[in-house]
Amino acid sequence: MRMGGRRGGQGVALAAGLFSISLWLGGSAALAESDAPKYGGTLEIVTVYPTLAALSWDLADWNWKQNHDTGQVYEQLFAADLSKSVRNGGPHPFYADAWLPSDAIRGELAESWEWKNDPLRIEIKLRQGVMFPEKPGVMAARELVADDVVFSFTRLATSPKKIATYFDHIDKVYAADKHTVVFQFNAYNAEWDYRFGWGYYSGIMPKEVVDAGAGNWKNLNGTGPYLLSEVVQGNSNTYLKNPNYWDKDKVNGADYKLPFVDKITFRTIKDEATYVTALRTGKIDMLESIRWQNVDQLKKSAPALKWSKWLNMSGTFLSLRVDTKPFDDIRVRRALNMAVNKKEIVSAYYNGHAELFAYPQHPDYRGYFEPLEAMPLSVKELFEYNPEQAKKLLREAGYPNGFSFKVQVCSCNPDHMDLLPLIAAYFEQVGVKIEIQPMEYGAFLSAMTTKTNTPGYFMNNGHTNPTTTIRKSFIKGQVWNPSQYDDPEYEKKMNAVYLERDETKRQAMLKEMTREILDKAPYVWLPTPHVFTAWWPWVKNYDGELRAGAVRPGPIYARIWVDQELKKKMGY
Amino acid sequence: MQAYIVRRLLALIPTMFFASLIVFVTVRLIPGDIIDMMLSQNDIAADKFSRDQLVAALGLDKPLWTQYVHWIGNILLAGDFGRSLWQNTPVSELLLARLPVTFQLGAMALIVALLVAIPIGAYSAMRQDTAGDYLGRSFSILMLAVPGFWMGTMVMVFPSIWWGWSPDVKFVAFSQAPLNNLKQMIIPAIILGTSLSAVTMRLTRTMMLEVLRQDYIRTAWAKGLPEKLVVARHALKNALIPVVTLIGLQAPLLIGGAVIMEQIFVIPGMGLLLLDAVTQRDYPIITGVFLIVGVAVMLINLLVDLSYGFLDPKVRYR
Amino acid sequence: MATIAEPHARRWRASSPTLKFIGRLIREKPLGAIGGVVFLLFLLCGIFADVLAPYGANQISPINRLKPPSLKFPFGTDNLGRDMLSRCLYGAQLSVIIGFCAAGLATLISVALGILTGYLGGKFDLITQRFVDAWQSFPDLIILIVVVSVVGPGMPQIIVTLGLLLGIAGSRIIRSAVVSVRENMYVHAAQSIGASTPRILWHHILPNVLAPIIVLFTTRVGVVILAESGLSFLGLGVPPPAPTWGGMLSGSGRTFMFQGPWLALAPGLCLTIVVYATNMFGDALRDLFDPRLRGSR
Repeated sequence: MRMGGRRGGQGVALAAGLFSISLWLGGSAALAESDAPKYGGTLEIVTVYPTLAALSWDLADWNWKQNHDTGQVYEQLFAADLSKSVRNGGPHPFYADAWLPSDAIRGELAESWEWKNDPLRIEIKLRQGVMFPEKPGVMAARELVADDVVFSFTRLATSPKKIATYFDHIDKVYAADKHTVVFQFNAYNAEWDYRFGWGYYSGIMPKEVVDAGAGNWKNLNGTGPYLLSEVVQGNSNTYLKNPNYWDKDKVNGADYKLPFVDKITFRTIKDEATYVTALRTGKIDMLESIRWQNVDQLKKSAPALKWSKWLNMSGTFLSLRVDTKPFDDIRVRRALNMAVNKKEIVSAYYNGHAELFAYPQHPDYRGYFEPLEAMPLSVKELFEYNPEQAKKLLREAGYPNGFSFKVQVCSCNPDHMDLLPLIAAYFEQVGVKIEIQPMEYGAFLSAMTTKTNTPGYFMNNGHTNPTTTIRKSFIKGQVWNPSQYDDPEYEKKMNAVYLERDETKRQAMLKEMTREILDKAPYVWLPTPHVFTAWWPWVKNYDGELRAGAVRPGPIYARIWVDQELKKKMGY
Repeated sequence: MQAYIVRRLLALIPTMFFASLIVFVTVRLIPGDIIDMMLSQNDIAADKFSRDQLVAALGLDKPLWTQYVHWIGNILLAGDFGRSLWQNTPVSELLLARLPVTFQLGAMALIVALLVAIPIGAYSAMRQDTAGDYLGRSFSILMLAVPGFWMGTMVMVFPSIWWGWSPDVKFVAFSQAPLNNLKQMIIPAIILGTSLSAVTMRLTRTMMLEVLRQDYIRTAWAKGLPEKLVVARHALKNALIPVVTLIGLQAPLLIGGAVIMEQIFVIPGMGLLLLDAVTQRDYPIITGVFLIVGVAVMLINLLVDLSYGFLDPKVRYR
Repeated sequence: MATIAEPHARRWRASSPTLKFIGRLIREKPLGAIGGVVFLLFLLCGIFADVLAPYGANQISPINRLKPPSLKFPFGTDNLGRDMLSRCLYGAQLSVIIGFCAAGLATLISVALGILTGYLGGKFDLITQRFVDAWQSFPDLIILIVVVSVVGPGMPQIIVTLGLLLGIAGSRIIRSAVVSVRENMYVHAAQSIGASTPRILWHHILPNVLAPIIVLFTTRVGVVILAESGLSFLGLGVPPPAPTWGGMLSGSGRTFMFQGPWLALAPGLCLTIVVYATNMFGDALRDLFDPRLRGSR
């Protein structure tokens, strides 16, 4: 039925186009009516992690991806306030992978919350009437209560896979009454809501699921808009609508019970050509991660698609081990930065689809990010191509004839495998030779976590949020610190940031810390590419938003509705 | 004959033990073990205390020999292949789900290979060194010479641009929706089968050429029997031998899965299961897959060898 | 005059079997002969790549990126501005190295294993065949995946692993050839006069299984090149920036399929033509060597 669909579809699409233009001319009343959300339909999504399947279903596994797969089922205390999205006239696009701007956080399971002193604690009043659905063999339907939150937190905090010191700022958690949870702090921590609130490990699980076996996807049961109905490991997750979901959303002034779509499927597809093709032919409705090379052809062959463009939430860099020669000398590190023609990488390698300067702070971090123009000269010159200055610095540092060093890179990342030889070519012009050592993913990661990585280590690392982006890479002993950066003064500043309750002050402190680390150049800072998202026009109430929490798209998907008539009209 | 079967089955046992031991140890030697991988999923470094806790929780703290005996014992006595280190799913469940899929793809590919190869091989033998022979053989070898992943990519991408059609990325089991399932599997099966056909075609041709020289064929011709009859009655019977040989040769593919086709056409088979498990260092899955593949292939090869006895009475068993 | 002419004539006659063979090849198996020529060309390109290539294999020049084929760049340029013709020539070099080394190693192993087990027979044969059985039970690609994970990606690992895999599998073919030769009269005769086993193996067995060995080697080259390309697709082949045909085809060839089809066409055609040629050549050799395959006409 699809064979003739393309040509037939073109004709029908044209007719549909004329039809909708006449509707528009017909009057706003007609427009408002066609915009009214309808229930039903299915969504096939290839997500922003197209090749990664769910690794774990048990929240106590402390797995970074768990919100992505369980976030439609297990809800959290807080989530993104999607009414503040750009689509709704607000300032936030919600692309950030693990950050919510402080003015765009709403209570999800939490209805209201209040800080109290002596002892420092936060009292959270939960929404009433939020139900866990019945799950045969696991649990009967019942209301969510404060004890569930206490249970989830305690289970996380006592898990053998827990991140050490993650919850050190919390003295105890208890249920003051049926719907009130109290977190008692021994010291303020600026990341408190990120660490347990809307963060990576903040889902609320009922005890019954744990008793039945929390790691088994068949037992998953939460208060969220969807229920997990089927998992084909490494291939797909299928979610079915929770008919008794508590939340509503306002669309065009009217309240609608959520969710709209009956069934959502995440497709894990390892091959890029395959998932781009699947979007082109309408076999999938949304593709959240598209590289620039595919955009032109897609726009030509599927002109009806809608697009959004965002800056990758991951910084690319060549890390230099500051605890080895010659990289203990800041002049050498700065020289290597100046030896690379970063502007040319943006224009030639990424064909213009990249930003010169977007790491460690991401331009989306309003209030935290300072553009390159605002930076002092010493930072700016790191992004100017200046091989003469680089050679001069190398001579001063005692390497007039350059030197050579090893660089480890993951053979699993085709972009890096292509980019690194380009960097090597730039380095050769100033007499520096690199020996590329490609490694398979597991071995590559292990080299960093065991701190046995070579002096050069080529990788990209997620931005997460404005404080974590600095902390996880530039503090001694952190896992994501391949440069082995170790500065006690810097660590003191980091700790001070966590203790600071005033966000404006924190922003100023982080800005200063960002400038410092850029200047110290433990990495060769590289441009960040743009990524594209595309979806078919029958996917409504959606404008390319990616996350409503830490890698958590659940609330976004719950608000999407599918215009099934439009889909049929277009021939799909 | 029976003695032979028994001897072969007995010989299977030490071989499998040996193979399983190698697989078990090799997998443990892969650098970047699972502990580091699990810990690196977090954004703050885990200190040694947490690492030890994790090691104990995964049962990886016991000596290697104990782990091996435990593993083998579970399989032989309880059919328990262990559980995935990441998701705690029983490995036997995963194997049971994936094996039929791979088997189906392999079987379909085999049928395609035979459908393509036997006519070409037979024709090539009968009309040796003619244009038809060259054309047929060239086609078959061309299918072999173009890498499978490239054919797969072409078939995936270009029809989507020209006609707006592409194969489904949604896998449905044969038992649920046989027609949709076949629609999805037929394309990778054709690509796989045509590239396999070169080997079969050669075998068929070789067998046929040898047979066609036989005296009894000459006699049949001399007697004036039509060529088609000669071929069908005498020569083609021997064509079953390459068929059976092909099954034996391609048995690893049938069971182990065609990783490349599975990746491009989004088919949840054994190949992808293993690839994922190796990337994630999920030891029980890796060793379970190897074991099943090994045993199944050996059994298939045994059947192949036995069938030679029925097909070719000249074969003797020492 | 006759004494001067004789050595000359003798020399000519001595070299004629090879020439005769080549003559037969061209006459009876023209396609195979063409395959042989391509095979030779491939070998020469590989050996003389450094001389033939107009640019370096890794000569990055972003200003020249994604240029279609022209006089300056006969095969066009890739996304980093590297000349595709040069890359394909160096790719031939890599394919020659990987192909010939792995095929050579495989043939060596096949011959050693095949001759020993085929000739000696008995318990040794039985045990070895069980080992070969076990080894062959595992799909090639899967073993490669695990090995590359253990030792990391790289050319030596791939050569050794492929050599081992194909060698052990191919030993069966050599073994069956040896088994059929073993029962020949002259072998029995040599044994009865007390010739040592190595002497028998070298002088009587080996020359008579030379034909399948040669055929095995030629076809193995094609198999190895294809196997490396499959590995490249899975990200486990010889890593970039090494200009292997498989790597170029599966990597930038697929990524820039629309921006620059020559990125895929150039290495793809090279790969296909060479593998096709080696197969046709191998087939022709097999036909000519094996009297059974002479056919009935």
